[in-house]
Amino acid sequence: MIIDSYDLPDGQSLEADLCIVGAGAAGITLALQFAGTGLDVLLLESGGRGEEPDTQALYAGTVAQARLHSPPDRYRQRRFGGTTTIWGGRCMPFDPIDFETRDYVPYSGWPLSREALVPYYAAANGLAEAGSFAYTAEEAFQKPIRPLIQGYESAHFTTNTLERFSCPTDFGRRYGHKLDAATNVRTVLHANVTQVQLVPDGGSVDRVSVRNLRGNQFTVKARAFVLATGGLEVPRLLLASRDVQQTGIGNRYDVVGRYYMCHLAGTIGAIKIDKPLSSVWHGYEVSDQGIYVRRRFALRESTQRTLKLGNFIARLHHPRITEPRHRNAVLSLLFLAQSFIPYEYRMRLSGPGPRSVGLWLQHIRNVLLGSTDAAAFAWHMLRDRKLAERKFPSIIIKSRANLFSLDFHAEQCPNPLSRVGLGPERDALGMPRIAVDWRYVPEDVDTVSRSIALLADDFRQSGIGSFDYDPDRVEDEMTRYGAYGGHHIGTARMGVDPRLSVVDANCRVHGVGNLFIASAATFPTSSQANPTLTLVALTLRLSMHLKTFLQRPLPGSLSDS
Amino acid sequence: MTMKQRILVLGANGFIGKRVVDALRSSDWATPVAAGRRAMPVATADAQAYLQLDATDPDQLRRALDGVTGVVNCVAGDSGTIVNGARALFRVAAEMPLRPRIVHLSSIAVYGELEGDVDEAAPPGAGLSAYGAAKLEAERLARGAGVVVVLRLGIVYGPDSAQWSGRIARLLRSHRLGDLGNGGDGYCNLVYVADAVRSILRALQGADLAGQVFNIGLPDCPTWNEYFSRFAIALGAVPVARLSSRRLRIESKILAPPLKVAEIVAGKVSPSLMRLVPPPIPPSLIRLFCQEIRMKVHAADKVLGIQWTPIDEGLSHAANWYRQ
Repeated sequence: MIIDSYDLPDGQSLEADLCIVGAGAAGITLALQFAGTGLDVLLLESGGRGEEPDTQALYAGTVAQARLHSPPDRYRQRRFGGTTTIWGGRCMPFDPIDFETRDYVPYSGWPLSREALVPYYAAANGLAEAGSFAYTAEEAFQKPIRPLIQGYESAHFTTNTLERFSCPTDFGRRYGHKLDAATNVRTVLHANVTQVQLVPDGGSVDRVSVRNLRGNQFTVKARAFVLATGGLEVPRLLLASRDVQQTGIGNRYDVVGRYYMCHLAGTIGAIKIDKPLSSVWHGYEVSDQGIYVRRRFALRESTQRTLKLGNFIARLHHPRITEPRHRNAVLSLLFLAQSFIPYEYRMRLSGPGPRSVGLWLQHIRNVLLGSTDAAAFAWHMLRDRKLAERKFPSIIIKSRANLFSLDFHAEQCPNPLSRVGLGPERDALGMPRIAVDWRYVPEDVDTVSRSIALLADDFRQSGIGSFDYDPDRVEDEMTRYGAYGGHHIGTARMGVDPRLSVVDANCRVHGVGNLFIASAATFPTSSQANPTLTLVALTLRLSMHLKTFLQRPLPGSLSDS
Repeated sequence: MTMKQRILVLGANGFIGKRVVDALRSSDWATPVAAGRRAMPVATADAQAYLQLDATDPDQLRRALDGVTGVVNCVAGDSGTIVNGARALFRVAAEMPLRPRIVHLSSIAVYGELEGDVDEAAPPGAGLSAYGAAKLEAERLARGAGVVVVLRLGIVYGPDSAQWSGRIARLLRSHRLGDLGNGGDGYCNLVYVADAVRSILRALQGADLAGQVFNIGLPDCPTWNEYFSRFAIALGAVPVARLSSRRLRIESKILAPPLKVAEIVAGKVSPSLMRLVPPPIPPSLIRLFCQEIRMKVHAADKVLGIQWTPIDEGLSHAANWYRQ
């Protein structure tokens, strides 16, 4: 059932077998696994069913360099469904190499291999509504699909791996009815956890304190607690809970909030393919199940090892929207319509330099000269994106001159100096606000620079066309929009050694017997892949562990009392 | 040589009845006596083995039951036909000197709007449809008769299934069904028609089954979304359409009533004309697609020992039939 904390009496103490904090991709996935079991589950969600400015403002914080990181209350949603209410839906699993300890990637290595997640990836794909777990063109299609570029072959990059797209599924809207129907799962809206309270010896969680914006509060006691609040709120909760462990929970070795990663992404260069238009397909295919999928250039694992590079993928992309020289009516239309586009997707439409009247006039000219194309595009976006239940994932512009730019998305190295900490300010509930100091290292620039150079060499040597870019601009381009928004990774990293990690391979906080974390915060490395699918798979794995865990009574737990 | 048993099949012109007759005929232990309301015999070379009768008429039933050792009650129709047919059959059977084993076909509809895992002991839920209520009443009458085995069939699909294969195929090919999101999260308790027939024959033959009730459906049944997606792919009706709840509301609230009227009118004029009318998607169907009821079939597994046809195999047969 779904209830609201506003309907609960003040000062109440609730009890459950399992308390999950946060109803986003992870929290809802986890709660669903317990629906219909004999276990009593409480799922605490800060927000309501829609966006509420006061609640969203609880995410506000500061960033050390505004140019490099978006405000913390952007790209994350504090409401039922969490950030799946605004995500783009791109799904892909992590690669085997992402789990390995690589001597050229400092602090790399997961305490589990990809095989440990494989049994859960298919179900994760199902929950994300991304179809079959088939991530190569050969697995996903019985008949061959169009190549990315006819005749492109490379020792460094593959083009047969796919990204698949969720609807994108809003987990709250999609699975809320199941949670509502589950008699053993109580979802409480407007329930903000403000403190995780340990028992006096710090060995387990005794209860969590919960407050709402109308001043009511209650506590929850449970046999196990799971923080499923995302990569920014997890370190905030751990660091702010200091009454037993003075430096914050799980933070004896000052690891919580460090190693903070996003992805390194950008758009660069001018690609000209010297082949017929029909020999290039940079857009989407639709699988039999109706799922949008797309090829991309993926840096081979062998190349990563040989050249000591991080993970990297790239896509053929349209020219930069802001520059009217592209003479493309659709791109100019997007430039002119940017104020109607949500912040999280608008970022990449803004370019450097002043917005002169002349610039706007040039874009208007492009739209007028290509009004038929612009109208067709507007109709396509209305029908296939705005009104469609399964949305066309992104803007695909077919260049009549076979001109493209390169859109890249790369792994960021774990770096202890890149961190999420607590600032001096407090929110409306008295919680310290976060202070983000996101940093990258020279190895990150190196991965992007050398990967792009390899791709340019491939183009040159294979004779399929040219790829011109300024190697000196790579760092500027990869930081033009700052850290990739929405991918908040590594702030409560998984590992064997408590001096270098916060949780173990079962997502349990070191030294705290009944506290678990279901969040991309636990990922020790970031991969090239977007985190949601792997987060859902890891959460499904955690659910199996918790079912076993909850079968045995804990000393001093409710079941003993 | 052992004498073959005479088995009366009531409703022998129907989708399941026809197949039961065929299965009995090819068995080495039974001879079917097909009985139906229609004058035309079922597709049989043996006109002697066909009886035209009104299954609600005790006198006609009495004559039909003479000399048979088993009866399969596949009578379909409106609520009155179901209840009156069952009442007449059980009463007449009780009068026979040698009481025949009766296998009575019931339906998952007796569970009403129940959700969750349901075994045969589950009480009927609220929201029984008229059909479900009639089936439940027939079951109640069966319990009084004693020698009846009740089979609660799930969604019977396969070749010749107009309702759950033909209609669904038409809707999938026109992309009026597909991935329904929340609207297709209910469980589709599929039974491949050959498995249904096999369970009927086992129920006729098994020892000590009198008075028992069995759920008949595929273990680990798929959701309706999964059924639609897999069947659409088997049919080549791809890509599978993702349909919004708004679209389903339009289907059931706005389009269904006129389509139903058109279907009835066309049916009265000519069956071939009826095939031109797009199938309606009534609100009852929309509710069914959401109903998270999963029939537990342990008893059928254990006692009847059914080897269930894998779903992809069944869907492949259904798709081939539809294409032809």
